[in-house]
Amino acid sequence: MKGVYRFIGIILLVTFLVPMSSAMADDEKAREIMQKVDDRNDGDNQTSDMIMTLIDKHDKQRIRKLSVFAKDKGEDTLRLMFFLHPADVKDTSFLTWDYDDPDKDDDQWLYLPALRKTKRIASSDKSDSFMGSDLNYSDMTSRTLENYDFFLKKEIKVRGKDAWVIESVPRSKEIIDETGYTKSLIIVQKDIYFVIRAVNWEKTGGYIKYMDVVTLEAIDGIWVGTEMHVAKKKGKQTVHKTILEFKNVKYNQGLEENLFTVRRMEKGL
Amino acid sequence: MNNIRNRIEYQFAAFARKIYHHRIKTIFLMLIAIGALLSQLPTIEIDTSTEAFLHKTDPALLTYNDFRDQFGRDEVVIVALKPKQVFDVNFLKTLAQLHTELEENVPYIDDITSLVNARNTRGEEDLLIVEDLLENWPETEDQIQATKQRALSNPMYENMLISKDGTFTTIIIQTQSHSSMGVEDDIMDGFEDFEDTIEAPADTERKYLTDQENTQVILAVEKIVKKYRSGDLPIYLAGSPAVVHFLKQAMMSDMQKFMLLAVLTVSILLYIMFRRITGVILPMVIVILSLLSTISLMAISGVPIKVPTEILPSFILAVGVGSSVHILAIFFHHLRKTKSKEESIVYALGHSGLAVLMTNLTTAAGLMSFSNADVAPVAEIGIFAGAGIILAFIYTIVLLPALIAVIPLSDSKTEVLRKNNRIMDNVLESIGRFSTTHPKKILFISFCIIAIAFAGTLSIEFSHYPLKWLPETSEIRVATEKIDKELNGSMSMEILFKTDRENGLYEPELLNRIESAGDDFEKMSFKEMFIGKSWSVTTILKEINQALNGNNANAYTIPQNKPLVAQEFLLFENSGSDDLEDFVDSQFSMARLTLKVPFVDGILYDPIEEEITAYLNKNFHDVDFQITGLVALLAKTFNNTITSMAESYLIAVAIITLMMIILIGRIRIGLLSMIPNLAPIILMLGVIGWFGFPMDLFTMMVASIAIGLAVDDTIHFMHNFRRYYEQSGDPEKAVFETLHSTGRAMLVTSVVLSVGFFIYMFASMQNIVRFGFLTGFTILMALASDYFIAPALMVLVNKKRA
Repeated sequence: MKGVYRFIGIILLVTFLVPMSSAMADDEKAREIMQKVDDRNDGDNQTSDMIMTLIDKHDKQRIRKLSVFAKDKGEDTLRLMFFLHPADVKDTSFLTWDYDDPDKDDDQWLYLPALRKTKRIASSDKSDSFMGSDLNYSDMTSRTLENYDFFLKKEIKVRGKDAWVIESVPRSKEIIDETGYTKSLIIVQKDIYFVIRAVNWEKTGGYIKYMDVVTLEAIDGIWVGTEMHVAKKKGKQTVHKTILEFKNVKYNQGLEENLFTVRRMEKGL
Repeated sequence: MNNIRNRIEYQFAAFARKIYHHRIKTIFLMLIAIGALLSQLPTIEIDTSTEAFLHKTDPALLTYNDFRDQFGRDEVVIVALKPKQVFDVNFLKTLAQLHTELEENVPYIDDITSLVNARNTRGEEDLLIVEDLLENWPETEDQIQATKQRALSNPMYENMLISKDGTFTTIIIQTQSHSSMGVEDDIMDGFEDFEDTIEAPADTERKYLTDQENTQVILAVEKIVKKYRSGDLPIYLAGSPAVVHFLKQAMMSDMQKFMLLAVLTVSILLYIMFRRITGVILPMVIVILSLLSTISLMAISGVPIKVPTEILPSFILAVGVGSSVHILAIFFHHLRKTKSKEESIVYALGHSGLAVLMTNLTTAAGLMSFSNADVAPVAEIGIFAGAGIILAFIYTIVLLPALIAVIPLSDSKTEVLRKNNRIMDNVLESIGRFSTTHPKKILFISFCIIAIAFAGTLSIEFSHYPLKWLPETSEIRVATEKIDKELNGSMSMEILFKTDRENGLYEPELLNRIESAGDDFEKMSFKEMFIGKSWSVTTILKEINQALNGNNANAYTIPQNKPLVAQEFLLFENSGSDDLEDFVDSQFSMARLTLKVPFVDGILYDPIEEEITAYLNKNFHDVDFQITGLVALLAKTFNNTITSMAESYLIAVAIITLMMIILIGRIRIGLLSMIPNLAPIILMLGVIGWFGFPMDLFTMMVASIAIGLAVDDTIHFMHNFRRYYEQSGDPEKAVFETLHSTGRAMLVTSVVLSVGFFIYMFASMQNIVRFGFLTGFTILMALASDYFIAPALMVLVNKKRA
């Protein structure tokens, strides 16, 4: 008889715990918000000038200027960037094809004018720094929502606007390895479903990255963060900082897909 | 002078009487005060790190801090494996497993590198690949051979991840440079300080990885490594974080052992002398309270226990007991005659209080002479051992009368005591007879011995070599020596080149110079010291250049065109590796050149550092440069040891000479009394020289501590001699009387003290063994010189009066 009870017990456990655990794992409301963030119109055929200021802990600055072209191709994103500054890397250009499919590695090419050569860069993870900044490649692409559990933590005000604080936890070790983050807090501005702040916990080194969209503009009816500050911190100490500014942001520039090719890239601006 | 002395002695007697009457109040107040102090005891910290030897404000340490703020900790934990065959699927799997297990379980890791994830940069047609060496797991024999080929042909791996002969491979663990303690309370606060301002990063002081965190790292590594270690697969664990940990372990176990041994031996000696339990318990209670109070004082001041602090407990125990012994000896003697506890303790304090005060002051002065030392733990010992001695003195004169007042005392076994005393008296009498009848002979022989010792001091060799403090068979010492030999070093010396210009490192000409500096340094050596390998940002540049040029070995060079250098760096920055952070600042204005060196004596780093400095002055006059790294700290500690020693010796001698003159009241006799004081010190230095002991910061402390103690005997001798000589006017008679009265206590305290130090010879740490031997030896020699040289001198300089 004992065996039977134990058997029933296990059945009960399995039938109740399994659905419970998946229900516990996520938070309906949070996911709904994130879905709306994901669905927000983020524009297409965009051109802009990007100014990247890297600031080290001794407050020394290093500035990079790039001209950026971006186009959506289905769910994928094509991006072409030409370096304008500093002089030594002027005309160096960078082409990326971000695939939505998480199983497919992104394609990246860099053209080196001093060598007159284009090199394709093989990179399988997105946790690497984007051009020496405090952003990594995963920060530059949108998250695939199915890979995360979301929890609504609280509601706060940021610069006078109502916002949700959502915790996002990767569902697998692969995602952690790929993004380099073990968890994140995402702060979403309620009225426009825009991620205005984020805190990311890095997998290695005990660093925490704070991202703050300081300037938010509506361009052609599309909300875009035109100034963003990123601080990499350890404890209370800022280790490194990046300021990202976008100037001359324009949408619907009718960019041709053949702009995003190696041949076009090698021609220069 | 006499008048003042009498007044002080009277004060001591009056003080004892007051305490005796207010015994309960006194004990109660003392207990409250001591209890408050001891409540701080649990906050004491331990720090055995290399940088703990330098003061926080030492320029070398400040430079080093700047360095590790920028590039992280230069100390690495090295796990070296010696498999039958490195390039074998099974072994590589084991390596990968160990690598992952370490990565996942060891706390505070910043970076972990082995063949598994070593950076492998190469080109395949238009593709630039920067990946882990074993990113694609080799299955077939061909793939294994290809991996082997790649690994062995990469100059960066050589002696870093794989030994030159290919028999050893390593896992290198770099720990975080900063402590994880005190992390953000409310995570949202992190936005606060960069809301309005873009520039200023918060200036709050960051704490470096603590000793405790370091220990957690090593223990975790050790635990995992143990599982993999076997007869077929020897695994060595080395690197300075491990050395630091093992030093700490050795120190902790030694310290516990000595506390026990010191308490035991001193108790036995006390019992032999007094033949009473109270004669053991009273001094022991007082010194143990003094010791705990001293450590509490350290805790309150935020001064951690460091390797040299190890000597503190036994030191305070041995010295502190001395004060009680002098007072108790007189007290028990008087008690037998008067049968009155009160009268006896009042008499004892009146008689010996001043001498005990003076001896404590001179010992404290000997120690305080360290307080200015450039070697931080030595300065701390100076301050806290000095304070401990003064505390012990206060506790003695306050608690002793109060405790005697409340504790019932039985009659002692006078028979045995008398027998003891008779033997002692006979010995002392023959010593007195000998030294007063042959004063010139004694002085001549002493002079010869001192001359020989002095000759020995000329061959003293200085040293700062923490690894050799550990016993020869110590696992970490064996491993470090092995790795130093097989992999060309386990430590690093760092050179920083600062152009102060953004992108200053794009200049091929400067990069060429940094590259050749590394090559030239690799040719330098001095005795056991050599430079085993050098690498810098140019290594990465050469790798990319080679990969961009069809993996051609001839293209493993620095491109000689500035835009190309810039673009290759940019390419690398975007290729999936953050490794540039380890070599340059984000401005590309500052480059780091790392030199791999063995763990050798601090004295050997110095000449190389000078040679390197000369080279840099010659070739880099247009660029700021700094030499730092852990090795530079060792070298600096070494240099500080020598200067500190010279200074503290001079200070100790000057202060003590002055005190002797004041105590004796006559300049000439005061100066003469320094002869028996200094003779044992010269003798000890002679032993160091003749026996080839290293003169390190431990042996250095011997002299100052010993001079403080040796003087005690001389003070007691001179104090009594003067008194008896004034009474009788006969120097020979005065010597006899002095030896009879105070000579006995001198013998006992010297034996107690020397035993207190000789027990250090059971230490596992070699530096402590030598310290114990030398200090014990010096104390006995000091006694001998007060038994022979002092009487001989007194007989010669003091005329016999009618």
